[in-house]
Formats: sequence, structure tokens, C-alpha cells
Amino acid sequence: MVLQISEIVKLNFKLEWKKKQSVLAILLYVLSTTYLCYLVFKGSVEKETWNSLYWVVLIFAAIQAAFRSFQNEADRRFLLYYGMVKPQALILGKIIYNFIYLSIIGLFTFLLFLFFMGSEIEDPLAFIILILLACSGFASILTFVSGIAAKAGDNPALPAILSIPLLFPQLISLSSISVRALTGFSWAINGPILWVLLLLTLVTTLLSYVLFAYLWRD
Amino acid sequence: MKRHWWKALGVIIIFYTIIQGFLGEVPHYFILNETIRNMYFHVTMWFAMIILMLASVVYSVKHLSSGTRISDLRAKELALTGVVLAIAGLLTGSLWAKYTWGAFWVNDAKLNGAAVTFLIYLAYFILRNSVEDQQKKGRLAAVYNIFAFVMMIVFLGILPRMTDSLHPGNGGNPGFDQYDLDAQMQMVFRPAVIGWTLIAVWITTLKIRYHQLLWKKEDVKDEQL
Repeated sequence: MVLQISEIVKLNFKLEWKKKQSVLAILLYVLSTTYLCYLVFKGSVEKETWNSLYWVVLIFAAIQAAFRSFQNEADRRFLLYYGMVKPQALILGKIIYNFIYLSIIGLFTFLLFLFFMGSEIEDPLAFIILILLACSGFASILTFVSGIAAKAGDNPALPAILSIPLLFPQLISLSSISVRALTGFSWAINGPILWVLLLLTLVTTLLSYVLFAYLWRD
Repeated sequence: MKRHWWKALGVIIIFYTIIQGFLGEVPHYFILNETIRNMYFHVTMWFAMIILMLASVVYSVKHLSSGTRISDLRAKELALTGVVLAIAGLLTGSLWAKYTWGAFWVNDAKLNGAAVTFLIYLAYFILRNSVEDQQKKGRLAAVYNIFAFVMMIVFLGILPRMTDSLHPGNGGNPGFDQYDLDAQMQMVFRPAVIGWTLIAVWITTLKIRYHQLLWKKEDVKDEQL
């Protein structure tokens, strides 16, 4: 099982490396959106706005990025996987892969925001940890939902409308505590919410693990 | 009559709720004043909605294990009636908010939860409509329904308790338990939850029967061909 998962993660990275333009496309997407924010807000912004903008930009980039994970293989590669790996291994592998992928996008967006939108951050480490936590939650929800959307056919709005409401719980608690990372962060006060977020990720991963077998069957 | 007693019970309870809701004695509180009567409508409708959504999820699980067409239909129709209850709950809620908190919509953890619930189920119906194949549609919808329901429970039940909320029982606000220990309100409130649920289930069964008749009609047509 562990071997299969790591094989899937490796395979996905290999495929990604072959088609570099798709990663670059997402990074360019983030770059242009961030620059758009910079132009619209005319440079530096309040910390609250900085925080909100960051999460909005990240969430749309994440949806774009994660949806591709099943888009190309809905019919063709699914068949290939079908005989080779367990569905549980596939979904876990994809979640791990998407987690790494989204983390890279999240950190890249963070750097861009530091560069364009002002860099007075009180506790960058706390913010980075929050980004990683966010990406783990996003990865588990988005991977699963993009599996559903890919199976449902090519309705381009579907991934967004299916996943955005599901991301709300994470996003609201995240953005409310990440603004504290910009203004001064206390691990003692915010600790419980971090645990809740981690728990939420676990719950969604477990649900994907259980339900993916049904999604997969054709 | 034996099979239909619960429908009559539902109607009687709803009449009782409405009469008590508008004419009955209620305790008087600061700010809440007479709006506390909305307890019988707003809160009970949300309870009924959660019950219906839960039933919908049960049928979704059934559908995943059995794959029958009828369990998918039941899950869908229960969710649809649940959405109607959610709309009613939102409308009564925003009226209440207007007269106690000063605005139709306020930024509150529970309100965000309500909005999300609404969006999730609208997405559920869009997902259903974007798949052609009957089998596939049922399976995808069931999977999404289960996933979404768990997230909804997290959002409505757990997160508001972690953050501040204007709603009673959250973030340091006193629970309604303090108020509604009032025995008289309890005498209306509890039956009202059952009443709205029964009526909603009745509506749902009517729609399910309608769809089953449509299926039959299709079958007859197929045979004639």
C-alpha cells in the first residue's frame, strides 16, 4: 500500500515534469492575479486586506491546480490505473501529490505578495505553517471533488461550485487566525484552532479514502 | 387511516404551532420582545431541515451499497425538500435578525454556515443535472451528498462554538436553554419540530410517488414500442 502510494506520487511528478507548461501556467496565473491586485489596490494595503486577498488568490489557484489532477485521466489513464492499484492508494497518493504541489503554489504566492503588496509581517514562520496546514486541507477536499467533477463530465464551472462551499469552514478559520500572524501570533491562544484545522483535514482525508472506491467503480 | 395517521398529526401540530405562535403566551425579554415567537418557526425549521438532510444521507449510503434507483430518488427528493425548509429558515431568520440585530444579514458564524449549507445543496443539484447517465448520476450525487453533509455538520455544529457568534449558545452568549426552560414555550417548540418534519416528509413522499408514476409511464411506453 505504502509502496503503491509512493509510486503514484512519483509517477505524478514525473508526468508533471514532462509537461512543464501546466505548472508554469498556474504560477503565471498567480503572478498575474497578484499583479492585478497590486494595480487595483495601488501598492501597499492594510494587513487585513493583504490577508484576505492572499487567501482569495490562493483558493482560486488551488482549484485550478487541483482540478487538473483528474482532468486528463478521467477516461484513459483511469483504465490503466484500474488494474494496477487500489483506489484507496490512488486517492491517498493524489492527495499527497496535490499537497506538495499546492504548498509550492502557496509559498510562491506568499513570496509574490511579500514582493508586491508589502512585507511587514510580524511572524512569517507562523504564516508559513498556516499555509502548509491550509494546503493539506485544500488538497484533501480538492482532490476528491476534482475526482467527482472529472467523472461528471466537462462542465468547467463544476469544480469551483462543488468545492468552494466545502472549503468555507477551513478558509474562514484560517483567514481569521492568519491575520494574527501578520500582527503578532500567539501559539498558546491559537493552538486549539490549529488542532481543529488538522482534525478537519484528517476527517476529509478519511472521507475521501472511504468514498473514493465508489466514485471509481464504473 | 392506519397508514396515514402521521399526516393528520403533522397538520394538527402545524395548526397548533401557528395558533400558539401568534396568540399564545410568551415570556418577555429585553430586545427579543415578541420576536421570540419566531422560535417556533425559524429554529424548528432548521431542525427539521437537518433531520431531512440526515435522512437524505442515509438513502445516499443505501444507494451506494444497493445501487437501486428508488434510494437515489429518495435521497434527492429529501434534499430538495430540505432546501425548501432551508429557504424558509433563512427568510424567517433574516426577519428576526432585522428586528433584534438591526440588519437582515450579519456576519456571524451560524449565518455563514447557513449560506454554505445552501450553496452546498445547490451545487448538489447542479452536479446531478450535469450527468446524463442514470447510474453514474446517482453514484456521484450520493458520494457528494455524504461528503457535503459531514462538512455541513462541522460548519453548523462545531465551528460556531469555536468562534464568537451572535446566536445563543455560542462564544459566550447564553444558550436558549436559559430562556426556553419556560415550560410553555417548550410545549410548543418540541412538537413544532416534529410537525414541520412530518409535513416535509409528506411533501417528499408525494413527490417520490409522482416520479414513480412517471417511471411507470415510461415503462408502459417502452413496452408499447
